[in-house]
Amino acid sequence: MDEDRGTMSAGCNSGLDNAAEDAAVEPAGSRGRKNLFAGIFSARLDKSASRIRLATWLFLAIYGIIAAKLIDFGVHPDPLAGVRRAASEPAAAARPDLLDRNGELLATDIKVMSVFAEPRRIIDKDEAVELLTAVLPDLDARELRERLGSRKGFVWVKRAVTPKQRQEVYHLGLPGVGFLSENKRVYPNGPVAAHVLGFASLDGIGISGLEKYIDGQGLADLHGAGFSLTQENLTPITTSLDLKATYAVRDELAKGIAKFKAKAGAAAILDVNTGEVVAMASLPDYDPNTPADALDPNHINRLSVGVYEMGSTFKAISIAMALDLGKVTLRSRIDARDSLRYGRFTIHDFHATRRVLSVPEVFTYSSNIGAARMALMVGVQGHKAFLGKMGQLTRLRTELPESAEPLVPKNWGELNTMTIAFGQGLNVAPLQAMMAVGALANGGLIISPTFLKRSEEDAKKDARRVVKPETSEAMRYLMRLNAETGTAKIANIKGYFVGGKTGTADKIVHGHYSKDKVLTTFMAVVPADKPKYLVLTLLDEPQGLPEDGGYHTAAHNAGWVTGKIIERTGPLLGLPPRIDLPTQPFPLLAKLGYAEANVPAHGGGEH
Amino acid sequence: MVRILNILAIAALIGSAITAYTIKYETIFHAETIVKLQHQIKLEQDQIGTLRAEWANLTRPERIQALADKFLDLQPVALNQIVRVEALPNKTQRGDAIGSKLEALGLAEPTNTPGDANAIDAAVSSTPAR
Repeated sequence: MDEDRGTMSAGCNSGLDNAAEDAAVEPAGSRGRKNLFAGIFSARLDKSASRIRLATWLFLAIYGIIAAKLIDFGVHPDPLAGVRRAASEPAAAARPDLLDRNGELLATDIKVMSVFAEPRRIIDKDEAVELLTAVLPDLDARELRERLGSRKGFVWVKRAVTPKQRQEVYHLGLPGVGFLSENKRVYPNGPVAAHVLGFASLDGIGISGLEKYIDGQGLADLHGAGFSLTQENLTPITTSLDLKATYAVRDELAKGIAKFKAKAGAAAILDVNTGEVVAMASLPDYDPNTPADALDPNHINRLSVGVYEMGSTFKAISIAMALDLGKVTLRSRIDARDSLRYGRFTIHDFHATRRVLSVPEVFTYSSNIGAARMALMVGVQGHKAFLGKMGQLTRLRTELPESAEPLVPKNWGELNTMTIAFGQGLNVAPLQAMMAVGALANGGLIISPTFLKRSEEDAKKDARRVVKPETSEAMRYLMRLNAETGTAKIANIKGYFVGGKTGTADKIVHGHYSKDKVLTTFMAVVPADKPKYLVLTLLDEPQGLPEDGGYHTAAHNAGWVTGKIIERTGPLLGLPPRIDLPTQPFPLLAKLGYAEANVPAHGGGEH
Repeated sequence: MVRILNILAIAALIGSAITAYTIKYETIFHAETIVKLQHQIKLEQDQIGTLRAEWANLTRPERIQALADKFLDLQPVALNQIVRVEALPNKTQRGDAIGSKLEALGLAEPTNTPGDANAIDAAVSSTPAR
């Protein structure tokens, strides 16, 4: 034993030595145990190989355990980390600001706190439900209890709480209940421009309107790829709208709807040179801050989702077609003495004149017979081709994802051409009709409408010539003449040199054209000599007023609203009113020998 | 000699260690300050965003019009109230037109107010006593 101790102290450090000594001193220690210690601590060379092997196994085992634990962590993630990951997905992503053309805010993100819970970590769920519903009274207790009872790692308790509620929830001190900072989309202007903006869901996903368009432009992909974008590194998107003008349009439209007891209405201002929609409203509308209202089918955007028979407004297109193809000139005369018969159908004039009309008269008297005859001169194929060129037969695509296909007759015969010539039998979206009339006004270029700010050069790049500049000027002259002496007189706002066209379409009720239910439209070009804006007003089922003699045609209601809109938005949009009317508004026509076009017309009865 | 060198070397070592650690701790401090400031900036930016939204909400045309209708005696701009710059009359001669009119009326001369009259009387009456 002494010998053993000697070798031990030589081979081992003093600590082990002491331990061995303790073992040796222990009185009850048996011989076998002493031998064991001696064996372990002996420094004999022949044992080192097995010891090294032992140490190797030991280390391998330790590393094995570590590796196994790592794999375990990988497979069963830490609950806290899981919450963070779960939270990063539902938490609303940042979206770029939407601005109007002058930089006013239309939609923005604000930071809000949302309360979440980790059901697995809540100790007393019933107590938690009780306390949370006490602080957040609009929570449904039963539903919250159900959600907390689920096996999920993460559930929202309430999105977007106020700072005060947040403080109260914080003071509850509930384990497993926490806060996350989120982006909430707000629309400070409420229902103004709601249809253009659309709205985004609580999770920051665009559901409709421009919000959805932005997502389609790659924002959603960026979020999906895990880029955490913040408000600061997203460039704001400038829309084509003018907030003040949009508000004014909506306000005047609302007044008009109330005055004429219409079911619904829509109005828009289109910049004919750039295709920008400067203002638009469709009533009834909704507040995008409470998106559930948007789903009401009565709240659709009537300008792009609704398709309507545009009525006499389409006569402008028919006359332009006949003029452009050289079938008629401004001096041509059209026979409107008798109703036009086709098979068992007869086409009448609303303002029957029973005489031979000149082309300008066809326009100002809004003669169905005249328009139908002109379309017949062009023929079915020519008519179809022209309307196709004007974009009236295919779906109009803008930034807004909501759009509607026009209702085109399947078997387009001569009768269809005749009725479509004066606006029956072809349903188009009002914005689509605006695009066509805009092309007739702006010198003959068709420019697709946009809801994003665009310069004139950019617009002209994609523009397509559809009619000759002379035709366009003739149309402006006709619209101006109509405002001076014809049906559009009511919208002839002094100083703006307005040109306009009315449209009254009988609505189809149970498959028949109804006499007392009408859809009235009014299109006005401001100013008619150098067109800048095209104003459209559309009223659904306006009622005649006793002071107007009970008439419910467009001249009385849609025209009145359009006049109000021009008067109010003109100064807002930077259109200077002119005291003197332009002396040479239509130079091309004068060159072609229509000197009378430049002489202001007067008189003319109320048609 | 060697001992002095050794001492110098040790001193240099300790010195450099102290410098290195000082720099390290300063770096950590600055890094923390940066993080704190960034956090603060983020907070401020969020607040700016919220305030911008609030401002936009408070200045929305709908609200302004309602307030204007209620509290202001204003009318919408009529088109005949807008004129071109050329239509404005030419600039007239500079000067204080009202002032010159008052001058012409002789209002600049001293006036005898009742109080002044007493004072003058007093002055007149007191003169002989002097």
